[in-house]
Amino acid sequence: MIHFEHLTYTYPRASGPALNDVSLELPEGELILVIGASGSGKSTLLRCINGLVPHFSGGDLAGNVRVQGMDPVEATPKLLSRHVGFVFQDPEAQFVMDRVEDEIAFALENAAMSPQEIRVRVEETLDLLDLEPLRDRPLKTLSGGERQRVAIGAALALRPQILVLDEPTSQLDPKSAEDVLNALVRLNSDLGLTVLLAEHRMERVLPYVDRVVYLPEGGGPLLSDEPRRVLAQIELGPPLVRLGKALAWQPLPLTIKEGLRFSRAYLRERSAPAAGTASRAPGQALSHSSAPYLQAKKVTVRYGERTVVQGVDFAVWPGEIVALMGRNGAGKTTLVKSLVGLVQPQTGEVRIEGVSTAKRSVADICRKIGYLPQDPNTLLFAETVQEEMMVTLHNHGLANKVEGQWRLLVGARVADPLELLRRLRLGGKAQAYPRDLSVGERQRVALAAITVTLPGALLLDEPTRGLDYLAKHELASLLRQWQADGMAIVLVTHDVELAAALADRVVLMSQGEVIADGATSEVLGSSPLFAPQVARLFPGMGWLTAEDVLAAH
Amino acid sequence: MNGQKLLSIITYGLTTGVGLVAFLYPFWLPALTQSSYQQQAHAGDSALMLTVLIGICLAVLLLEVQSQGISTKTVALLGVLVAINATLRFVEVAIPGPGGFSPIFPLIVLAGYIFGARFGFLLGVLTLLVSAILTGSAGPWLPYQMFTAGWVGLSAPLCRPLVRWLGGPGSKGEIAVLAIFGGYWGLLYGAIMNIWFWPYAAGSAQMYWQPGAGAWEALQRYLLFYVITSLVWDLARMVGNIALITIGGTAVLRVLRRFQLRFAFTYEPAPTGGAAPAGAAVSR
Amino acid sequence: MKTLHPLAWVSWAAAIVVALTTTRNPWLLALILTIVGLLLARLHRLAAAQPEAQIPAVQISVVRFGLLVVTTSAIFNVLMVHLGSHVLVTLPPAIPLLGGSLTLEALVYGALNGLVVAGLFATFSVLNRVLPVRAMLRLVPRAYYPAAVVMSIAVTFAPSALQQIQQVREAQAVRGHRMIGIRSWLPLLVPLLEGSLERSMQLAEAMMSRGFATGEAVRDRRPQLLMIAGIATWLAGWLVRLAWGQEAAGLALLAAGIALLVAGVWLAGRQHPYTVYRPDVWHRRDVLVIGASLLAASAYIVPWPGLDRTALFYYPYPTLVWPLLSPPILLASLGLAAPLLLPAAAA
Repeated sequence: MIHFEHLTYTYPRASGPALNDVSLELPEGELILVIGASGSGKSTLLRCINGLVPHFSGGDLAGNVRVQGMDPVEATPKLLSRHVGFVFQDPEAQFVMDRVEDEIAFALENAAMSPQEIRVRVEETLDLLDLEPLRDRPLKTLSGGERQRVAIGAALALRPQILVLDEPTSQLDPKSAEDVLNALVRLNSDLGLTVLLAEHRMERVLPYVDRVVYLPEGGGPLLSDEPRRVLAQIELGPPLVRLGKALAWQPLPLTIKEGLRFSRAYLRERSAPAAGTASRAPGQALSHSSAPYLQAKKVTVRYGERTVVQGVDFAVWPGEIVALMGRNGAGKTTLVKSLVGLVQPQTGEVRIEGVSTAKRSVADICRKIGYLPQDPNTLLFAETVQEEMMVTLHNHGLANKVEGQWRLLVGARVADPLELLRRLRLGGKAQAYPRDLSVGERQRVALAAITVTLPGALLLDEPTRGLDYLAKHELASLLRQWQADGMAIVLVTHDVELAAALADRVVLMSQGEVIADGATSEVLGSSPLFAPQVARLFPGMGWLTAEDVLAAH
Repeated sequence: MNGQKLLSIITYGLTTGVGLVAFLYPFWLPALTQSSYQQQAHAGDSALMLTVLIGICLAVLLLEVQSQGISTKTVALLGVLVAINATLRFVEVAIPGPGGFSPIFPLIVLAGYIFGARFGFLLGVLTLLVSAILTGSAGPWLPYQMFTAGWVGLSAPLCRPLVRWLGGPGSKGEIAVLAIFGGYWGLLYGAIMNIWFWPYAAGSAQMYWQPGAGAWEALQRYLLFYVITSLVWDLARMVGNIALITIGGTAVLRVLRRFQLRFAFTYEPAPTGGAAPAGAAVSR
Repeated sequence: MKTLHPLAWVSWAAAIVVALTTTRNPWLLALILTIVGLLLARLHRLAAAQPEAQIPAVQISVVRFGLLVVTTSAIFNVLMVHLGSHVLVTLPPAIPLLGGSLTLEALVYGALNGLVVAGLFATFSVLNRVLPVRAMLRLVPRAYYPAAVVMSIAVTFAPSALQQIQQVREAQAVRGHRMIGIRSWLPLLVPLLEGSLERSMQLAEAMMSRGFATGEAVRDRRPQLLMIAGIATWLAGWLVRLAWGQEAAGLALLAAGIALLVAGVWLAGRQHPYTVYRPDVWHRRDVLVIGASLLAASAYIVPWPGLDRTALFYYPYPTLVWPLLSPPILLASLGLAAPLLLPAAAA
């Protein structure tokens, strides 16, 4: 069905090939998961299937691609659109129309189908993805998951036999991501649609996947086999799989259900496991002797009629990492914005080191608190990485440009810019153009730009969205360093595994109120929605990550 | 093909010429007509006729610009730029800037300069159209606005030879040329838009459709009207354009040029053979 | 109200534009403005009844704009034109251009001109309310398909552009950025532009993989030739009418020019094969409205035999007189009220 033969592809002006001698045979009707670190060529491989590479990207292509006997290079993406549907990362960036139905009809209109036939196809597509109730809705009123389902519908309107998705859930919250992935599983099993999926969130689809294609980064062999065999050979994988490999569970469990058999046996073997003792001591972070660095007292925020944050008490102490979690629309982002003054609370107050921030400007507050917005790109505009930091200092009146040279004001208590960059592993990039860097690096540049004033607290809004495994890992170790320095850190996140690995304390919000506030193992361990995989495997043990289990081993 | 090129030149020349004549009608119309009652009647519907004429010219020019083939990338890029430009036009109230200042012209000038005349024209025309649709402020003045904004973008590449002469891309001369160009259009745009309104404001037929009371008096009157009602605004727009291009020109040009690198690609057919060349997509 | 075919609405608005720009007769102006005003008021009531109805981002108050225009043009006219017998005040003649007597006639004529502009504004305001953005885009002729897609993308993208502006402002505020003067635009523009360019590439990919492709240059240049000929013919017709007063010949040339242009657009449209999902349906009421509008407009521009059109050209100088009243034209103008007869309740 899809056939790659010694495919080598190099982007224009790139130093090395993005795909190097790839040979691959993908059979019809399978659900195929493509994994690999960013930069391993996942997107490039997927784009070769409908001819976007090289028709869209240019560059040099050698070797052969055959999709249902056709050569996508020769046939052009326009023709391929009848055989291959394509869905992209960002649901918003792929819409041309503003209503669900119209968006689905767009491809059909371009194919010059008769209005009657378009009607039929649109109805089919709406039913296929359960979009019927949404058909008249403007796209901008939909949630991320609904939008991505519309994008899938739009891609399927031309009835392709193959559906290709490039990280379709990386911008979504867990609930939406699950909706999308469930829809894919159903399309594959009910219709026999061939689905190719590049995805970081493996745990949800792994049980249904027929084949995993692993693209190695630099050198190693490309793997394409059934999931258990591939996962056994590589480092990537959800905590359950990593734990299974470490403890030599055979056959490798892919679902919690499969894993529970092993975990129960594991606990039985280890006689008298003392619950809780193995985990991180939860009390340490909770018994605060000092005053909190940052504190919200009975904060209420309303947008018009709607109350978004309702009388919330919230505090962070120096040297503590707090994860702020909850469903979309629970008021997390609004709460954090009210902490830095971007949103004015109607009642209640925010205090930094015991001093109220009322009537202080955002700029003023942000010398004391660093805030990293969801999209770090919105922060970056300067010509060089170093310039980004200096502009922040200049904004705060801590630095000046004299004859084209930046000068720190005498006596300004700020971080040494170059030292900070080294710490952020950006040492050699001081003169680089920020937009040329990778996603992870750009996020760290943004972090540099907001922490150069040495704030005592750091608030991060969804910092792991769109980051791959490696970038996540780097961010985590960075945050730990800052924690050790005594910074108070708040993570707004959906990423359960990140919270499990990093946070001392978890605050759970729902409908604008704090519904739980306690040690990570207590809050996450007992929550059906937010429990990490390891906590589900070992209920009541206080273990949250594979590392916790292995440390107790 | 030479015939096609000729046709393009004729189209650009004719529409621009006719457009110019139409814009300036309050000045030549009096000389053409006698003061007979019948002709006064026709002078009355000339505002309508000229709006239609401008609309027609716009339609023909748009077809010409399109006929060169617009790649999917250009369509997407234009769509997105039109959206931010049209949006900037109505958030202008929220962000401080001098009087009649609006950030849309600098972007039209810079994009037209980088991506070429056809791109600039489409960006100008469609920005005005989309923002009128979005804000519900469409009116008979819209064709005039679109045409003028289109001209801004269409003429932006004229800066290129001058820039080359003054030190080439990236030099201070480049920004200076573009800033002056933007400032000039800031003023001219206001003047042109006022011509649309003017016959309504100064519609005294007897006074200037009298034989002998010709273009000169009409022009004098117009200048007075212009100075009273809009000069301050237009000066602010001019200063705003100059300032914005001076301050942000380098950064924006850099962004656009960097993007253009990805935009203009050549595709060498793959060894599999027979691939259709995708061709360069830049509208130059 | 919204069940009229978009083209019916457009013809109605076009007829009003024709009528408003050709006449200065106070009776006619009053009638037309009343019709438009009634429609606006009705739309306003309807919009208030359905709160989720689409409201454009910026609604300029029609009344306020109208008042502004009428005053401006009345004051300007009174200062500039010193004709007329009813002198209100006399300025010293030493002042250039302004000096002389200020007359009631000039005031009235200026106000009438202002009313025309206000009426045009109000008409388009009706159009903006009854036609959703999408319906307007569907009216773009097929020949302009690429431009229509650009507009469609822009309209789709605009709300998130607004959101993005907000996000960028917040992100910059967090870095201590303040909006002080023109220099503060830069930190907003660059991230906004970068983000949008990035997104346009994703969008282009998405469109390509859904079978959208325009890229080829058009070989067939006949449409363009037709249209150039159209402009020339139209221009000739206009000049013939204006300079030589050849009414019939002029009109014929104008019509021929329009026909050539339409033929050109139609021919060019055949190069873009695409279909429309749910095309707008024609009803009898649409035909009715179009017919009534055409009839009304024709009373203003077509030299019907036996129709005395002198009433159209009301002129207060040199002495303010009571305007003529032409029952046939007034009657024909009532055709513009056709949309008012529609049942208020719509699906």
